Amino acid sequence: MTTVAAGTRSGPTSLRKDERTPPFRRVLVANRGEIALRIVRACHDVGTEAVAVYSDADAGAAHVRAADDAVRIGPAPAAESYLRPQAIIDAALGSGCEAVHPGYGFLAERAEFARLVEDAGLRWVGPSADTIAAVGDKLAARRLATTARVPVVPGMVEPARIRPDALDDLVAVGREIGFPLLVKASAGGGGRGMRRVADPDELVRALSAGAAEAEAAFGDATVYLEREVRPARHVEVQLLGDASGSVVALGERDCSLQRRHQKLIEEAPAPGLDPEQRRELHEMAVRIGRAAGLVNAATAEFLLDPSGRFWFLEVNTRLQVEHGVTELVADVDIVVEQLYIAGGAELSPSLVAAAGMATEPTRHAIEVRLSAEDPSAAFAPAPARVGRWRMPAGPGVRVDTAVEAGDRIPPDYDPLIAKIMTVGPDRAAAIARMKRALDEVEITGIQTTLPFHRFVFRDATFIDAELSTDWVAEHWDGPGERRARRETARRAATALIESQEDAGATRPVSLRKDSTGLTSASTWRATGRRVATERWPR
Amino acid sequence: MPSPRRLRVVDRAADTGQPEASDTDAGGWEITVDERGHGRLEPSASDANPAPAGVKGDHVVLVGRVDEAGAGHTVEIVVDGWRFELSVEEAARAELLARATRNRDSVARSGPLEIRAIIPGRIAVIAVVPGDRVVTGDSLLVLEAMKMQNELRAPRDGTVGRLLVAPGHTVELGDVLLTLE
Repeated sequence: MTTVAAGTRSGPTSLRKDERTPPFRRVLVANRGEIALRIVRACHDVGTEAVAVYSDADAGAAHVRAADDAVRIGPAPAAESYLRPQAIIDAALGSGCEAVHPGYGFLAERAEFARLVEDAGLRWVGPSADTIAAVGDKLAARRLATTARVPVVPGMVEPARIRPDALDDLVAVGREIGFPLLVKASAGGGGRGMRRVADPDELVRALSAGAAEAEAAFGDATVYLEREVRPARHVEVQLLGDASGSVVALGERDCSLQRRHQKLIEEAPAPGLDPEQRRELHEMAVRIGRAAGLVNAATAEFLLDPSGRFWFLEVNTRLQVEHGVTELVADVDIVVEQLYIAGGAELSPSLVAAAGMATEPTRHAIEVRLSAEDPSAAFAPAPARVGRWRMPAGPGVRVDTAVEAGDRIPPDYDPLIAKIMTVGPDRAAAIARMKRALDEVEITGIQTTLPFHRFVFRDATFIDAELSTDWVAEHWDGPGERRARRETARRAATALIESQEDAGATRPVSLRKDSTGLTSASTWRATGRRVATERWPR
Repeated sequence: MPSPRRLRVVDRAADTGQPEASDTDAGGWEITVDERGHGRLEPSASDANPAPAGVKGDHVVLVGRVDEAGAGHTVEIVVDGWRFELSVEEAARAELLARATRNRDSVARSGPLEIRAIIPGRIAVIAVVPGDRVVTGDSLLVLEAMKMQNELRAPRDGTVGRLLVAPGHTVELGDVLLTLE
């Protein structure tokens, strides 16, 4: 009698869709927080071990505990830890890793770091160092898009030469583009290195100042002029490519809800596109990916103007924060795909199939970025120690976070602490789920952007998808929103102190605190229970 | 039945940048709190104390930390995701204390130490978060001025109270940067 092992092709039912062995034995995760945990999970899902790196601020962090091994790389400041290329490479080599996944931010788009990784004999999980270098230069990316017959935001494709004899020409170019326009740094990105110029007389000064800032911030003074497209929606396309030259578009995302070029809410697909627009957008993005020889994952960003035209902005040669909404709509794991592509595999059949259906999506997903920021104080970072921490769950809800109750949110890093995502059959369903999910969030100890998100999901213009990158500035009054809750908070505080003192203590009762920072006092519990049973009888 | 008493409640993180104090009658509301900090705030059912105008119905809030502070308390209440840190003290006593210290910025209790900028500049690095315990000499933050990095250190042991600046902020001479309790 022969027995057939489960999961082999010759069995009556194949138990695995894409039959693949683990892409690597061990991968180093060169990041922290939610994305590091997310990458560790992808590794484990495909039988790969993960090694974490951590600074002193992250010694007990969730991503460290989830990994199979961990290496300390320095004290808390990023410049002394997560931004040290050699420390990360040493950690990878010393722990037997074959590959490095950089996540997003930190060193993820530093071509020199990718090169160092490759030179050390490790695989880089992302586009090649050459691609990062080529496409990271925004002017080069604009020229590349132009050769791929993709319209770029009107403006210069060569550096602005800030020379005394060239100033008149620059102003003339500026007038051709049309004021107001933007002075942009070629080495910048994600909203950094941009200046708005409304008046032609300001142009020369703005160019000089912009060049000096670019030199200081990016080590490259190259600047150029671009038209300001406004109002506009920010729409981006998820691309994946392999070494055989295949490039696919896995779907687009709308990230218009931003503040100072920091994204707050993202969704997939972009609302309101007709199938032809969507197809054209994906095709343009794929053309750019092919022209760049893209291998692994990247995102092509566009502006959508009110007339419905797309204008290419830039390419991000990394995994993006908001990749999860594309995963929820397309039902793929982009990080797993990244690992396999880095290991030499071609795009998987299920990925190619998902890309084939991306122009007619049958689901809608939304993400809110929950950050330790004060939305009544210009979203200033508000790091502190978390007390209570409860995240939503249930059907259609996905939460990517590495924070737990009692964690100290360090001041040294980005204040993003959780990504709350919902998915449903259409946008209305995803919105309804997000409203429900946001109601389930319970956090004490830190101020977060939760009230902002709760506001958005009750706002008619958001629900009607009247989006633009100006939306937040136009609709959000943080101080007013906070002020409106103050009376309730005051009443609660006074009632609390009153009830505690009326419960028989002649002096303030010594209050016990548990590890989550919550206070419990026997007098309160007794009072609370008694009153609770009176009000909500079983 | 709660007896109406004058309490001074100070919102330590008011949007105006200054703590905002108000004196209130403590009566009129009741709150029940479970072990997980879920609070339900309702007007007291009492003819003698009708519910204050403008605040209807009951409210669900989260109760966070409650600490003793001098002769009063600081209470953390979260409403709709908005976090309030409120000092609650008997109004009469708070008034006496405020007059005695003659400090408009007083939080109405024996004071947190205000750490101020001794030169104007830009906040480069903040090394602590509220709640961190520090000892004399611990680095608190770095102020960049005149191309030099000026490190501010804790003048005494204590707990970091409030951060009033963030990295990137420009500060003037004398601006309060953080408080130490």
